Amino acid sequence: MPDGGAGQKFENPVTITIDGREIVAEQGDMLLQVALDNGIEIPHYCYHPKLSIDGSCRMCQVKTGAPKLAIACNTPVADGMEVDTQSEEVAKARRGVMELLLINHPLDCPICDQAGECYLQDYSYGYGRADARTTSPRRKGVKRHPIGPRVVFDQERCILCRRCVRFTSEISKTNELRVFGIGDHSHIGTAPDAPLDNDYSINTADICPVGALLSSDFHHKRRVWFLEETQTVCPSCSKGCNVKVGMFKNEIQRLVPRRNDEVNETWMCDHGRLHYAFAQDETRLRDAVVRGESSNGTVPVVPLDKALEDAAGRIKSTADEHGAAAVGILGSGALTNEELYQLAAFARAVGTPNVDVPVPTGEADGFLIQAEKVANARGAREMGVVPGDGGKDASGILAGAAAGDIKLLYVVDARSLLAASDAEAVQAALDGGATLILQDANVSELTDKAAVLLPGQVWVEKDGTFTNHEGRVQRIRRAMTPAEGSYCDGGIFTRLSALLAGTDPSAARFDARATLAEIAEKIDGYAGMTFERLGSLGVKLGDAAPAPAPAEPESEEGSAPAEPA
Amino acid sequence: MAPVLPEALRERIVAEFPKYPEKRAVLLTALHFTQETFEGWIPKETVPEIAALLELEPIEVWEVVYFYAMFNSEPVGRCHVRVCTNLSCCLRGARPLMRRLEELLGVRPGEVTEDGRFSVGEVECLGSCGTAPVVQINNEVYRENVGIDDLPGLLDELRQRLDARDAEGESEG
Repeated sequence: MPDGGAGQKFENPVTITIDGREIVAEQGDMLLQVALDNGIEIPHYCYHPKLSIDGSCRMCQVKTGAPKLAIACNTPVADGMEVDTQSEEVAKARRGVMELLLINHPLDCPICDQAGECYLQDYSYGYGRADARTTSPRRKGVKRHPIGPRVVFDQERCILCRRCVRFTSEISKTNELRVFGIGDHSHIGTAPDAPLDNDYSINTADICPVGALLSSDFHHKRRVWFLEETQTVCPSCSKGCNVKVGMFKNEIQRLVPRRNDEVNETWMCDHGRLHYAFAQDETRLRDAVVRGESSNGTVPVVPLDKALEDAAGRIKSTADEHGAAAVGILGSGALTNEELYQLAAFARAVGTPNVDVPVPTGEADGFLIQAEKVANARGAREMGVVPGDGGKDASGILAGAAAGDIKLLYVVDARSLLAASDAEAVQAALDGGATLILQDANVSELTDKAAVLLPGQVWVEKDGTFTNHEGRVQRIRRAMTPAEGSYCDGGIFTRLSALLAGTDPSAARFDARATLAEIAEKIDGYAGMTFERLGSLGVKLGDAAPAPAPAEPESEEGSAPAEPA
Repeated sequence: MAPVLPEALRERIVAEFPKYPEKRAVLLTALHFTQETFEGWIPKETVPEIAALLELEPIEVWEVVYFYAMFNSEPVGRCHVRVCTNLSCCLRGARPLMRRLEELLGVRPGEVTEDGRFSVGEVECLGSCGTAPVVQINNEVYRENVGIDDLPGLLDELRQRLDARDAEGESEG
């Protein structure tokens, strides 16, 4: 493939051969990355595509025609270079590196979280030797040491590749980690009174090629080979970091970042990574509830159909009695585009202009963490969940309820509303006497106040799309079988719309794929978007239309074919 | 918080700046000065101030403190007795020597005798492999070919030095 594989264009193309295969690359690019880009594996520990070159592990040595073997990570390619990654000389060098790295390694894989995704294990199998030639006792070091509030350190397993050191100096720029000591005493350490504590600290566990740095949250939780991993997007802010959700027996075990150079490179923040308990803890709502005049004290659980009928009845009678504008709808930026599109349709069916999405906001850090603390605030605006002509925005709707103008409040996701609004404004709205219909996945202060409660779902139970703050539309995928008793949020909207229109609600099934097709047809920027077109890395608004390019196949590893990140 | 680096020490460090193209190059000298000022060790409170003075991250100062055996991050005795434990000295009995020294003084590395007079530690190669094992006391006394049996005499000699110094101090005071 002398054209450089996937049609890449080079400013100064050079041709090299790796193991007899001709490869075109950019002059000066490093040999290791060129090899990885072309699907040729050269084992390595310290090299990481998003960090500076260290050259310390010596594992990537190859023969380049120079008198000595060269480390591929720090060897610029030059025209005519002939590289050999397979000869006995190279194999012997790798065996030597492996042997030295393993002299003091505790080999405690059976109790190590990294087992199963460990470079040391993989390369030991591929390039090491079966026996040890040393008999002296292995060096002892600290184990299970909380090097920071969210990261556990095992000194004995560390191979001193310095990836974590470079991460805290180059990416988080917090400089908590360095190599201390000399020679055989070298170890990773933190300064006195300055633990590894920054918003991105657990990424050090991801990039640690061995089991030396581990996520405290995942520590001894589950063997990684039992995890079923699903590619999706983090829901915790509008950045939309690409992640993999690791499931075991329908429970989230961990979130890890997935490489997407257009969004999060290969990182994610600690908050987003650890914010998943709400999907599966005891706060999940599993019952539809309708509170009448007579339900004194007990929680009147009803089938969902009954609750939907009751909700539609209340909306209709409010609109008939006081006009449609007496209904206020507060949606959620935690919903998918497809659900929001159906929510907008539902609002039109009600006929009220008083529709908005309250968006909780907080600190942004100029790196990954965004101010909007839900994934899909932008999607909500684009799907039309915004005030209609003369309609009230979120705070206006709350004020209207407090003043008695809004007689019925339809709230989706009370926790977003509460986080986005002034507590007094919410209280005043409830005191105004409006009927509350609440569609929600989790318990909140509003749950008990709802006349009708419709149990919804969370992101990890859904298929659909989010639009991030930059207008990148990304696919989220169902990783979890929905909580028993909960109901698909999009389906609640379509069925309510049908009930209001007097058609058969059971026929109004929500289909995310079909809804996206409708969005693609009707909403600016979304033309050409399908689940397949979005692939694993998403597409920027406008970039899918028209769609002359062949659909990208969904790749397992994002844009990083050879780097497990 | 009041600064912990005495003004005189600060001035002494700053006076070194013109000798080097970058402030960071003064780090080793600054650490030596600090260790002199603080009776043989570098208190952790001084590190952020040294770092600020040299426009470094505190951890970059710690990296150097922990790298060199000549810098102590814990208090030491008035006589800090160190045995070289590099290859030649180890081959010539540095390990048993170290153990005997610990027994005689009743302290382990990182500890100081109750009277504050002695502490022990290891040191990297002192460049005298032909006369291994080698023992260094503070920055003044170096002993070659030290055997286990030489230790009691060496320690007595050090005690006498300290006594003499104390007497001198009293007569001055």
